[in-house]
Parts: sequence; C-alpha cells; structure tokens
Amino acid sequence: MIFYIARRLVWTIVVVLCVIGITYVVFFKLPAGNPALRFAGKAPTQQELHEIEHRLGLDRPWYVQFGKFAYHFFRGDQYGWPGLGYTYASGASVKSLIVNRAPRTLFLIAGAAVLWLFSGVAIGVISAVKRRTVTDRVAMGFALFGISTPVFWLGLMMLYIFWRQLGWAGGAGYVSPTSDLTGFFSHMILPWITLAMLYSAFYARMTRNNLLETLGEDYIRTARAKGLTERRVILKHGLRASLTPIVTMFGMDIALLVGGAVITESVFNLQGLGYLAINSALTQDLPIVAGVVLLAAVAVAVMNLVVDILYAFLDPRVRYA
Amino acid sequence: MKRKLRFALYLAAVAALAAIAAGCGSSNKSSSGSTTTTSSTGGSGGTGGSQGYSNGTPAKGGTYTVGWEQSFGFTNNLDPTGEYLGNAWAILNNLLVRAMIGYKHLGGAAGNELVGDLATDVPKPTDNGLTYTYHLRSGVKFGPPVNRAVTAKDVVYAMNRLANPKDGAEYAFYYSPVKGFEDVVNGKAKTVSGITAPNNSTVVIHLTQKTGDFNYRMAMPATAPIPPEVGNCFEGKPGNYGRNLISSGPYMLAGSTGKFTSCAALKPFSGYAGANGNHLTLVRNPNYNQSTDPYRKNYPDKFQFVINSNADDIFNKVQAGTYDDEESSPSPKTLRKYSTDASLKKMLQSNGGDRTWYLTMNLTQPPFDDIHVRKAMNYIIDKQALRLAWGGPILGSIATHIVPPVLYNNGLSEYDPYSSPNSAGSLQKAQAEMKKSKYSGGSGSCTASACKGVLMIGDTRALDNRMIPVIQANAKKIGITFTVRQINGAYTTIQTTNKNVPISERPGWGKDYADASTFFSALFASTSIIPDGNTNYSLVGLTPALNKAKKLGVTGNLNNIPSVDSDINACLPKLGQARIDCWEGVDKKLMTKVVPWVPYLWSNVVKILGPNVTHWNYDQFADDTAYSQVAVKQ
Repeated sequence: MIFYIARRLVWTIVVVLCVIGITYVVFFKLPAGNPALRFAGKAPTQQELHEIEHRLGLDRPWYVQFGKFAYHFFRGDQYGWPGLGYTYASGASVKSLIVNRAPRTLFLIAGAAVLWLFSGVAIGVISAVKRRTVTDRVAMGFALFGISTPVFWLGLMMLYIFWRQLGWAGGAGYVSPTSDLTGFFSHMILPWITLAMLYSAFYARMTRNNLLETLGEDYIRTARAKGLTERRVILKHGLRASLTPIVTMFGMDIALLVGGAVITESVFNLQGLGYLAINSALTQDLPIVAGVVLLAAVAVAVMNLVVDILYAFLDPRVRYA
Repeated sequence: MKRKLRFALYLAAVAALAAIAAGCGSSNKSSSGSTTTTSSTGGSGGTGGSQGYSNGTPAKGGTYTVGWEQSFGFTNNLDPTGEYLGNAWAILNNLLVRAMIGYKHLGGAAGNELVGDLATDVPKPTDNGLTYTYHLRSGVKFGPPVNRAVTAKDVVYAMNRLANPKDGAEYAFYYSPVKGFEDVVNGKAKTVSGITAPNNSTVVIHLTQKTGDFNYRMAMPATAPIPPEVGNCFEGKPGNYGRNLISSGPYMLAGSTGKFTSCAALKPFSGYAGANGNHLTLVRNPNYNQSTDPYRKNYPDKFQFVINSNADDIFNKVQAGTYDDEESSPSPKTLRKYSTDASLKKMLQSNGGDRTWYLTMNLTQPPFDDIHVRKAMNYIIDKQALRLAWGGPILGSIATHIVPPVLYNNGLSEYDPYSSPNSAGSLQKAQAEMKKSKYSGGSGSCTASACKGVLMIGDTRALDNRMIPVIQANAKKIGITFTVRQINGAYTTIQTTNKNVPISERPGWGKDYADASTFFSALFASTSIIPDGNTNYSLVGLTPALNKAKKLGVTGNLNNIPSVDSDINACLPKLGQARIDCWEGVDKKLMTKVVPWVPYLWSNVVKILGPNVTHWNYDQFADDTAYSQVAVKQ
C-alpha cells in the first residue's frame, strides 16, 4: 500500500506539472494579447512596452518562464516555499493572495458538501426504498429541479426571497468566522444551500440507481433470507456497496470546486479562489492563474488518490499491491 | 420518522413553489420594457452636467462607503507615478495627494479650471513660454510615517521617478518637453536637468519647447510629491509604493502610522490590500492642515472602497444605504427604476464623462481607403439608435465630432458636419456621398466586392450585441456588408497594426485633462503609430516609409493617407482661446478632410447615490465622484 501511495504521489507531481505547462502554453500561444499593454498606459511607446515585458519576464519564451515557475515552486522564492511568484497587478505574493482567499472557498465547499452528501444520499435511499410511490416521484422531481436550475438564478432567487423579502439570512458578502460566527453562518447558509442543491440532486439520482441495482443482487436476497431487518439490509449491505461510485464522485466534486465555484462565489460576493482565478484570467495576470490552477490540480490529484484508498475500505474486493 | 420526512418534503415543496412564484414576479417586473431609458437628470456628455446633489447641511464625520464592482482595476497598484485609471485619479487627487496644480473638484466647466493646490497659484510661463516657476504653500506636511513638511525636493524626486522607465510611469510622454527628461528616459542621465529646487519652497521647470497645457500636466497625480526616503525603497519595483503611499492630502491609507526608520521596517499599510485585494480604506491624515487647502471640504472621517462581485447586490446595498456610492454599471432595469421613481430620481446623477465613443475606420483598408465611403458611413449611421442601445439619453449625448465640446469651453456645440433629422442617419445624403466613391460605379450604393463581407471587429459585451445589428443594418443601405468577429477584449486586436482591421465598433477615448491635445496627439499623430498597442487605429498620417521603419505590417493602400501632424504641432505651443480655436480647427479638418471615425456618443458618467449622502459633487477632471466634497449622515 505504501509503495502504491508513493507511486501515485510521484504521478501526481507529473500531472500537476503537465497541467501548469498547458496553462503556460495556452496563456502564451493563444492570441489573447500582450499582458504588458495593461501597464503601459493609453498610448505606449515600444520602449515602454519592452521595459514592462522585461520586468514581468514576458520577453522570455514560455518554456523558460515555465521552467522558472517550476524551479521556484520546488525551491521557494522570496516569499518562501512553495514559490508561486508575485502578481503582475500589484507585485504582491501570489501565495499570500491564495492563502487569503482559500478559506472562503474551502468554507463554501465544506458546508455545501456536508449538505449535499447527507441530503442527496438520504433522498436517494428514500427514493429507492419507496420506489414508484409519491415520495419517490417528489424526490426525483426535486432532483430534476436541482439539476435543471442554473446556479446563478437559484442564487439570485435565494437572495431575493430569504434576504431581501424575508430577512431570514444575511445577504451577499463574506464574514470571517473569527470576527463574527453568527454573521458567518448567516451569510454562508444561502451559498451553501445554492451550491448543495445542484450536487444533492445528482447524488440523489446516483444513490437511488445504485441502491436499486444493489438491492437486486443475490447477496441481498441471502441477507434477507437470513432474517436481517430491512434497515440493516439496506444500510449495511445495500448502501455500503452502492456508495463506491458516490465516494468517487464526492472526492472529485470537492476537488473540482476548489477552483470552480466561480458562479456561486460571484453571486454571493464571496470572492474566493474561483473568482480570483477568473478575474486574473480576464486581466491576464498569469502568476495568479498558474497559482490557482496549481492548487486545483493538486486538489484533484490528491482527492483522486484519497478516493482510491477509500475504495479499499469500502469495497472488500479492492486490494492494492 | 415517516411523519417528519413527509413534513420535510412538504416544506421543501412549499419553498420551491415560493421560489418559483417569486421568480415569476421578478421576471414580470423586468420584462416590462426594453433597455431604453428616456429620462435624464440633466446631465449632458457634451456640455457638462449636473451641479451635484445636496440634501441638508453637510457635516463632518461618518464613513463614505463605495461598492466597487469586480476588482479595482488599478493599472499601477495606486502608485501615483504610473496609475492611469480615472477612478484611481479621483481617489488620489481628491483624497491622497496634492500636486502643484489642482482643480476645484466640481462638475462642468468650473471643474476643469486650474487652481493652485500644493503651489500657491497657477504660474504664467516666463522666458518666452519655456520656464515655469512654482511656489509651494507652507504648512503642507506628509502623513505618517514620514511626518515632515513637503518640500520642493519631494516634487523634484517625483518628477525624476516619472522619468525613470524602471519606475513604471504610464504617461511620462506628457513631460518629454521638460529639458533633460528624455535623457533620463533613455538612460543617458540620472536626473532631469530641467527641474530644479532652488530652495525648499520653489520648483523651477525649464522646457525645450513651448507647451501651452503644461500646467494641466502638473495637475496629474504623478507629479505630486513623494518623500525620497520612502520612494527609494521601491526603486525599480513599479506599483509597490502604492501599498505604502505617503499622503500629502487630507486622507491616508489606514494603517499609515508610526515613524519611518528604514525600508526594511516598512510593511504594507493595512488599509489597502493591493490591486488584487478587496478593500481600500482611507482615514484622516493627522498632519493635514485645512487652512492650506481652499477647495477640499473633507467631511467624512473615513472612506471605504469595497469590492463586490455582484452588480445587483451593489445597487441593492446603495438603495438600502449600506453603500453610499458605487463604481459599477447600473443595469437598464436599475436606471429605469431610478429614472421613473420620483423618490429615487434625485439620487441618480448623470454628468458628462468627456469621452467620445466612435466607429474607427482604417484609412488603409478598402473600402475605407476612400474618403467618400467614410463620409457616407457618417451620414448613414443612426446615432440615435446606437445611443438607445447604450441605454438612452441619460447615458450621454449624440457625438457629432471628435472632442466633447466641454473641452473647447463649449465651443463647437452646434457643429455637426453630418447632420440628419433626429441624428437617425440620412440615406439621401449617404447615397449622394457614395456616388462620388470609386467603389460605387456612380450609384448611391457600393457595388464593388471590397464592400462585401468587410471585417468588423466587435467586443462581446451585451452592448456590442445590441450595437452591431444597428451598424450592419445601416451600412447595408449603402451596399456595405460586414463579416463580424466579436472578440473578448477587442482592443488588443485593433491595436495591432498588422491585423489590418478595416473597422471596429469598440473604441472610446477619454481625456486625461481638459485639453484637446489629449485626444489628438495619441489618436491621430503619426508618431503614435506603433505595431503593438497602437492607438491611432485609423492610421492617420501613415506613410510607406513609416510602415517599413516601424515594421508595422500594414498591407493596405498606403498612398496619400492624410496627415494632421503639422496641425497638431501648430496647436501645442498655443495658450488660452487661441489654443482652443486651433484645436477646433483640427477637429473640423479631421471630420471633413480625413474622416477617420464615425463618432456617435459623448458618454455620461452615471452615479447612483445612497440615502445617507447629504452632499455630493462631480469631479470633472477625474470624471468621477468628487470625494473631497461628499458628506454623509452619521
């Protein structure tokens, strides 16, 4: 197992470097324009442009810049390890910027993940157990609603109803839990529910289908024949086996959201990592884009590894040599 | 358990239905009209604007909070040496720094009038227009952690910083007439020989050529004093000074405290997290002496600029009083609400932005290499429809020439060489002009293949989606059809000369200060043509030799392209009304003899204020809120 984990970690580094490399290629090879123009004023001279390009390192080929990025990442830079460089726009450390924004995104993901996992699995189980009843249809109707509703619309509606009209929740914006815990929950509850609605719907449908399939297996029939209670059959034997793909999905969803909860972050003015990445891409601030992409790639690779390891515990048939 | 579950599902169903119902209600409200807004608070892009807002007696105290959409967008991290964003200038000039020359921080023509700020008055040039002598006011001090009197040497240092290419200046070209300035720019000297400080309160600047608008240039934030002891900590690190900006104005970055000891001990001030950050907080500068400053009122105790990613939320918070002001773009729905609701209307402020929006036509590319086609385009475009696409009259006035009249002291207000009823375009006049074109074969419509599928570069904003069909439909009437390419960030493409873009609907240009040179020099002088980042999109004044020398890669018709270089150069040394008259002449020549544009809008700056604002004014120089004049309820 240890050898397996070590091998996967090495591959993780290779994958992350490939992703960053692709980011550099996309940034420099696609015709998005010269980032130096942003700092050159309205009517720049060629001399000014060259000066800015030199300062930002843009006068060197993309692979040299990528090599420099990789070198500083492993060896550290003036801001410590890992070295992520400084932003074009403010000269500030990318790492400190990411560290500053990460809690917002991580809190959003954590709260939403708890909500969607429990509600999605619960709805899926109930729906499977009550197959073809009104409960099942209502549950699947909810799932359809969650999948079909655009997040931005749902977010705006949530704000309109529960903040503006009813005043039950805080509005948009982020309140740090260290400064005001009540304010934190009040402002996070709507983004959590909004983000969770979409995923909860997916999880409900997935759980229902998997559970229905599992409940038709021979060993479930055997368990029932042995006189186990229905609750025990479903929760211990049926649900455990049908959770494997859910775990995969859960791990990947969390990882992808590290850099991808842009819409929810924008609607609720949370200004987390996704929002930072999009803003930076729009302003061609490559060091920030590379930093967030790196973080997201690491998250995906690590969660992938965690999921694979969890498989061994959830499914007795899976063993790693 | 079952009962609880049923109840939960019931609750969820009710919530979903409530959400759908509320959504329908909201949708009904917003779908009641198009994007048109018809009322105005009196602002006019061409001739000035409203004279501010007052609701009771302004009083000292309170916090003025501004919701800022998406990101600050500063171009040099608020470092005055290079910062070139108008919104940043409003903050710098009103609150943080005091240049030699300043403004009254008002709207309209009065807001463009120069006054002494750090200097006691606006000097008249001596030595046949080549020497300017500024006398500093006494009693002006830097804020913490420098805490000492501002001297002439601090101004000289700021000007030298401006000349050093490694320090990130973005409009250093304005100071090239200063003797020795270019030597520093080109690395031949360390200091600008033409700027001296004979004593602590006098700055003398020698020019190599007469520059009629030089005092305007000395009102720009980059010329404001910087204490060398702090500025030197950031040599060669453009922008980094922004987070340690030392105030010479009434406010300072929050966290500017203590006493400066060394660069190593200097940490970024907490009030500003940088251009990528989400807040900017300013508090009173304890060393500021109000008696040295006749124009700034400085009512609030604190200013907060906060980033908000949701424009709707910004305007909700403005209406609720959580914010007092905004740096955002109100949606048509918000504009309509404020234009039609009597209780809200007074909070809607619309003022001339001194900015012209236009279609640019490339003089080297067929069919726009024919002046008659360009004139026909000016006749046929329905400017009224384009303004409606923007949101109606509140967003600006119809542009009829290059420079907004306020920059001519309202001269050329009535000048409209391509007039048509209601500015909706004239097919008859356009056809008459097209008949003279080599592409029309004598008909009133372009019949040549050069007019079919002409490449038009547009942007991808909702506004572009509304404008492009109007332009296509108009041009089709005279036989010109377009192949439209919409690009996110279209400027990059049209600023690259070897792309040879025939026409674009994207450009707009605003003044840097109240002189028409800030339009003509950058937009039409042949010296401003460069391969990458070019702003002379129409390539006025381009010659085959220039194309070759600068490796521009222009492949169109380069013969007999008109130039206005000599006209611009003739105006630059002039002063006063003679200067204005001269610029008006250039404008007329461009509109009739060169015709590089179809100008269609002099846009307004629209602001929506919160209910706690008791006093507000517009700053015509920065085209933004005059923060030094605002007041809020406490």
